[in-house]
Amino acid sequence: MKTILTPILLSSLLIWLAGCTEPTIDEGILPFNVPSSVDADGGNWRTIVLKSAADIAVPQPLPITSDTYKTELTAIKNGILASTPEQNTAVNYWAVGGVVRWNQIARQLVAKYNVPPGYDYATGQVSPADAANPYAGPPYAARIYALLSVAQYDALVVAWRAKYQYNRPSLERQGVVARVPILDVPSYPSEDAAIAEASCQMLAYLFPNEVNWLKAKATEHKKSRLWAGASVPSDIKAGEDIAIALAPKLVERARNDRFTASTDPANTWQAALVKAPYNQTWKSLEIPERPPILPLAGNVKTWYDSAAIFRALPTAPPATTSAAFQKALSEVRALSDSRTREQWRIASYWENGPNTYLLSGLWNFLAEDLIRQGGQNELRTARTYALLNRAMQDATTATWRAQYTYFVPRPAQLDPAIKTATTMLNTPSYVADRAAVSTAAATVLAYLFPDEATRLSAQATEASLSGLYSGTQYRFDNEAGATWGTLIGQLAVTGAKADGVK
Amino acid sequence: MLKGKGYFCVTSADFMRLLIYFTVALLFTFAHQTHAQGLAPGILDGFMKGQRKASLAIMASQETYNTYYINTTETKNPNLGTVTTQALTVVGTYGLGYDLDLIISAPYIRTEASAGYFPKQEGLQDVSGTLRWEAFDYKLGKTRLSWLFAAGYSMPMQEYVSDAMVRLGYGSKNLDGRTMLHYKAGPFFITGQYGYIRRGQVTLDHVVNNYDPSQLNPNSGMKVNVPDVTELIVRTGLVTKRASLDVWGQQQTPRTEGTNIGPGIPFPTNGVGFTRVGTTAWLKLFGKVGITATASTILSGRNTGKSTRVNGGLVLGL
Repeated sequence: MKTILTPILLSSLLIWLAGCTEPTIDEGILPFNVPSSVDADGGNWRTIVLKSAADIAVPQPLPITSDTYKTELTAIKNGILASTPEQNTAVNYWAVGGVVRWNQIARQLVAKYNVPPGYDYATGQVSPADAANPYAGPPYAARIYALLSVAQYDALVVAWRAKYQYNRPSLERQGVVARVPILDVPSYPSEDAAIAEASCQMLAYLFPNEVNWLKAKATEHKKSRLWAGASVPSDIKAGEDIAIALAPKLVERARNDRFTASTDPANTWQAALVKAPYNQTWKSLEIPERPPILPLAGNVKTWYDSAAIFRALPTAPPATTSAAFQKALSEVRALSDSRTREQWRIASYWENGPNTYLLSGLWNFLAEDLIRQGGQNELRTARTYALLNRAMQDATTATWRAQYTYFVPRPAQLDPAIKTATTMLNTPSYVADRAAVSTAAATVLAYLFPDEATRLSAQATEASLSGLYSGTQYRFDNEAGATWGTLIGQLAVTGAKADGVK
Repeated sequence: MLKGKGYFCVTSADFMRLLIYFTVALLFTFAHQTHAQGLAPGILDGFMKGQRKASLAIMASQETYNTYYINTTETKNPNLGTVTTQALTVVGTYGLGYDLDLIISAPYIRTEASAGYFPKQEGLQDVSGTLRWEAFDYKLGKTRLSWLFAAGYSMPMQEYVSDAMVRLGYGSKNLDGRTMLHYKAGPFFITGQYGYIRRGQVTLDHVVNNYDPSQLNPNSGMKVNVPDVTELIVRTGLVTKRASLDVWGQQQTPRTEGTNIGPGIPFPTNGVGFTRVGTTAWLKLFGKVGITATASTILSGRNTGKSTRVNGGLVLGL
């Protein structure tokens, strides 16, 4: 008789396996950023929405010899000794970098709210867009990242100016052993509180449904710096006050950047389509047909010189009847018929379609590694993102302008046998925003991280080709986009060379 | 080789019967291999192959759906139309011992949507290898009850597209463990089995860029988990030397909730489940050559096509 042990063991193994649970997505662990410089002259860097850092006055702090300060410091020291596991988790989370963390939070929220109105085939109804956020699409995402980065950057320039104006010594210089690496800059005002409050207020304006969640995040961020031993409450309060003074100026810019009109409620795009200077015009390939994505997003206020940007508006592509156009169309068809796995991968990697944080979000993600490797402090990180995201928003605005000027049909409209590896955005084809945004992003990042220029340039080239590989874009869409993106990237680089940063 | 199983020392007539059992077993194995959404190392049954006996089967199948489930809600999509999946599967079975079989299968699949812009996918899917072990065999009067275990492993034969509505499979490497009870009385048989399919991670073509409420740290890279599934199968029918006929029900349930089909959601992270019923017939033509046919349909599902499938094939005893 066979021993009964083996089947019992096997059954146990089976039951044990069945008991395992697994998360949908594994989360990586980020290393702490160890900044390589403090940028003591940061208070003189050129601000973006503020005229200068002096626009916001930071009151003089109490001296460290005062009883009030001593009490604060003692409380922090005691707090470190009594910290709870939850506090430690928060400390470690935010120590990765406030600017980076809030950028991640923004990416999450963009992915959450970047939901185009859907069509319910069961009921035959178009489900309405979220009333608080009816703006899904690349222009929506690019604007959010730009506004957030600018808010963070301006707040930090003001904070840096006050830090070196008042020179309140860091807690570590006063014998506090912090729980995580702390940048050796004067502690007043707290850069983290400035980032937390500026990011929270900016995102609360952009995502009104998330106010409570954002406030909770900001509170945790600020408190984490007390638990970490990086700041005392008066440092935090001063940082917060900078952001409170700054936020209305950012909100005012956001209100007046013509973005809210980009949904085109009066459907003026239909008239524009009729008089489009192109021989055959775009139509929606969705079933049923839907209005295009944010038709007036090409009118959004730019961050860089709008005259220079729109002077470079590409001319119309060759007419659909021309041999040049037919050649471009048959290239898309040939790629669609014999797409390689690698071409599919490239198309998918750069797609970042509906319900994701979008292509501008991917570039923010890619920049994160560069920032970490470059050992950038909070201020420099904010500058990197502010340069990158302004250039990307302008590139998006520019391509939207071209798309709704020419209304060039997508390849699949003219050759229905073309199959696409990714979703086809419900927008005209020319100019390719993937190409323009990626080239602008790579140009800015190559200036900031010259060692990575070769790799960035290769990424931009791949991103530019991705639309062709996915079957949603002609080669001329990509080429025009890349040329325009380079120009917009150069405008950002010119600005970066003159903003006082060495 | 004894271990109280003398009744497995057989006459040639018994041997023929065994062969038939195996062919039927095989049919079940691959009848379920070729689902375009990818599958476990196959539905096994309780009929053992026999030491140093082998068989080879070639199966063709066609599966179609024009309705699919988003979570558990039925949906039709004019941008998809009807999805048709055809598969050609080769299955080899070999008896390593009187109580241990090795089963290997490899499908070639083509899947295509009739409308919209989803490209056709075609190629080799997952190769699977399964060991089936008959741990116990009780004789109860003239009937017999056996208790079996099986462990399988499957992996993609190439890096096919798995993150698309129209796709060949999950793209994951899978471990499959299962146990079954098999009862046979004269021509009547009934088999019940429970299995757990552990699906490995899949590397997407892109960085994870969608919103996941549980995702505190969005820097999760390109790897995602594919929800594991549990599987319950009940089969019953009649089997003789010349023919067999049976009906079966199969239920796969995702172990973790996973995601639901939606724009921006990676397909591999979707929690996929279904309840499928089917019937299978087998007929011996001559000598060691038989033919088989199966029809099955999905009654309810989760993030999968509401498909019907027919397949047929040739079974050769070697």
